Amino acid sequence: MNTLEVKNLKKTFKLSKKQQKIERTDTKLKVAVNDLSFTAYPGEIFGLLGPNGAGKTTCLRAISTLIKPDSGDIFVGETSVVTDPESVRGKIGFLTSELKLEDHFTPNYLYIYFSRLHGIEDEVIEERKDAFFERFGIAEFREVKVGDLSTGMKQKVSIAISLVHNPDYIIFDEPTNGLDVLTARSVMDYLIELKEAGKTVILSTHILSVVDKLCDRVGIIINGKMKLCDTLENVLKTDPNNNLEEIFFELVKEDELLGGAY
Amino acid sequence: MRNIFTIFRKEFFRVMSDRRLVFTAIILPGLAIYIMYTFIGTAIGGEVEDIVEHKMIIYTENMPTDFQNFVYAQNINPEFHDYDPNNHEEIEEQILIGEVDMIIIFSETFEDDIDNLVISEIFIYFNPGEKYSNYAYGQMTNVISTYGTIIGLDRHGDSYYAFMVDSGIIMDEEKAAGQGFAMLLPMLIIMFLFSGAMSIGPDSIAGENERGTIATLLITPVKRSEIAIGKVLSLTAVSMMSATSSFIGIMFSLPNLMGGAGAELDVFIYGVGDITILFSVLLATVLVIVGLVSVLSAYAKTIKEAGMLIMPFYFVSIGLGISSMFSGEASSELWVYFMPIYSSVNLIIAVLTFDISLTAYLITIGTSLIYVTIFVFILTRLFQSEKIMFQK
Ligand SMILES: Nc1ncnc2c1ncn2[C@@H]1O[C@H](COP(=O)(O)OP(=O)(O)O)[C@@H](O)[C@H]1O
Ligand SMILES: [Mg+2]
Repeated sequence: MNTLEVKNLKKTFKLSKKQQKIERTDTKLKVAVNDLSFTAYPGEIFGLLGPNGAGKTTCLRAISTLIKPDSGDIFVGETSVVTDPESVRGKIGFLTSELKLEDHFTPNYLYIYFSRLHGIEDEVIEERKDAFFERFGIAEFREVKVGDLSTGMKQKVSIAISLVHNPDYIIFDEPTNGLDVLTARSVMDYLIELKEAGKTVILSTHILSVVDKLCDRVGIIINGKMKLCDTLENVLKTDPNNNLEEIFFELVKEDELLGGAY
Repeated sequence: MRNIFTIFRKEFFRVMSDRRLVFTAIILPGLAIYIMYTFIGTAIGGEVEDIVEHKMIIYTENMPTDFQNFVYAQNINPEFHDYDPNNHEEIEEQILIGEVDMIIIFSETFEDDIDNLVISEIFIYFNPGEKYSNYAYGQMTNVISTYGTIIGLDRHGDSYYAFMVDSGIIMDEEKAAGQGFAMLLPMLIIMFLFSGAMSIGPDSIAGENERGTIATLLITPVKRSEIAIGKVLSLTAVSMMSATSSFIGIMFSLPNLMGGAGAELDVFIYGVGDITILFSVLLATVLVIVGLVSVLSAYAKTIKEAGMLIMPFYFVSIGLGISSMFSGEASSELWVYFMPIYSSVNLIIAVLTFDISLTAYLITIGTSLIYVTIFVFILTRLFQSEKIMFQK
């Protein structure tokens, strides 16, 4: 089964002096993700919902093996990010705003380049590329340098490139951030397509409506801790009005009363 | 392997398809040399000091004690040896290789000639191609002419033309030209190899980190070591092109470069073998420089920081290149060939002066490969380090 299981993930960062100032703290260590566990299933979209600085990106980076867990592990199917990060990278498609494409190259060039690095046959590359470029309206911009593309088009190219190897697991960090309504809509539609194709999809967001519209399962993460994790249906049941916003604010308030997670 | 090639090709294409980079990395170095030679011409003056400190070795025949004392009185302290005509060929050979600076032959009847107002002939053999010999010649002819004036006044109360100096030139033209190259080229070569690597390395590694594009590469299943090797090789290729451009620049500007310096520098004194060896040394050197520049660039978080980190290494390396201007010959100490860059400088000199030793060559190539392997290893570790790659 193509499940993705995060098990007791913990990640601590050492803060530099500058960061201590920004975070207004004297502590040298920042627990970004604290004993986080959840499971995402194939054919579903799992939404990691949390305010800025909650630890969402850190969690997704750990899944994508860009950073190593301090403790805990993540199993992508059977594969552990700790023991076999290279195989994990071959199985997942990861998208985050911090992964940039080089301005100097064209979508066409980059698509082929990253496909080759994933070890894909040339014929398959061409087939997938044509289909994808058609689907996202990239075709007419295929020879335009990335630096000259609009933000929305760049994001579409990034999505195309994150999926060159047709991965079973798709991890998107704030995929609609900074996009115009139309592009955001087409990205969301595509995520639903992926889910319907049986992919295991995880996305992070701080936007409640994205969760409402897309997710089958939701994990609410605040200050690095998982506060609530269930199917969207069950989560909504916890509020008399089935209002996700109310539930979310209650959890944030509760966390503030506790004086943060640690 | 396939991944290395894919990365290599993309990195190489990155540079080649960018007019600005092609200009700064490949064309500019060759052009810059035209501006450089004026500066170099001045720098050669600095060589004098070393020559003055060198102890002259002079073979003499029939040298009057009075003259010898006069030389010492001028604060010149050559090592005088007695000349034996039977050993002439041996001594000449030593002058040729620079171990003896000159032969001065006074006439048997020198003292009588002066007393009888006969113009006596002094014959000097020297090698204008050896800097010490050339300098000694200038010094001694000066001393001789002063001595002539003084002795004339002393003995005849008048200055008269006491003796005539004639000279025989013992010189290996090719070696002389080779020395000219050896003085100039190592510094220039190191400079241009560095500038090639510096014009693209920081952008290709620190720049990619700064712009967040390297992370896109890091989430592919490609091994970090493959990324490191691919990058180093493409940077090497571009740096070699840059070095070649510099080389062409040097060749074209040579006549101007040497200008009044006397020695005729003709590149064609070198055979295919010499050029091949030189090329392999350059390649090994570029690998080391690129490895170093890459590691520093990966460690730095921004292009600017990378540039600042590289600068000290750049200056030290140029310093090592400049050191060749003073020595003019390759070091015979073996340890020198274990030192990165410094080994290259000495080996370049060795090739240019037809003085190459196989051991030194093999050590230089071998250690350079070891150094670049170490750099690639460190680079791989840096790419693996989330601190380096993902520090906010
Ligand atoms: N490399 C890092 N070094 C230091 N602190 C970090 C680093 N990455 C994240 N953090 C800190 O960890 C916390 C969680 O960050 P992040 O995962 O980016 O949150 P989110 O994506 O939910 O907004 C924040 O306080 C952030 O400042
Ligand atoms: Mg984030």
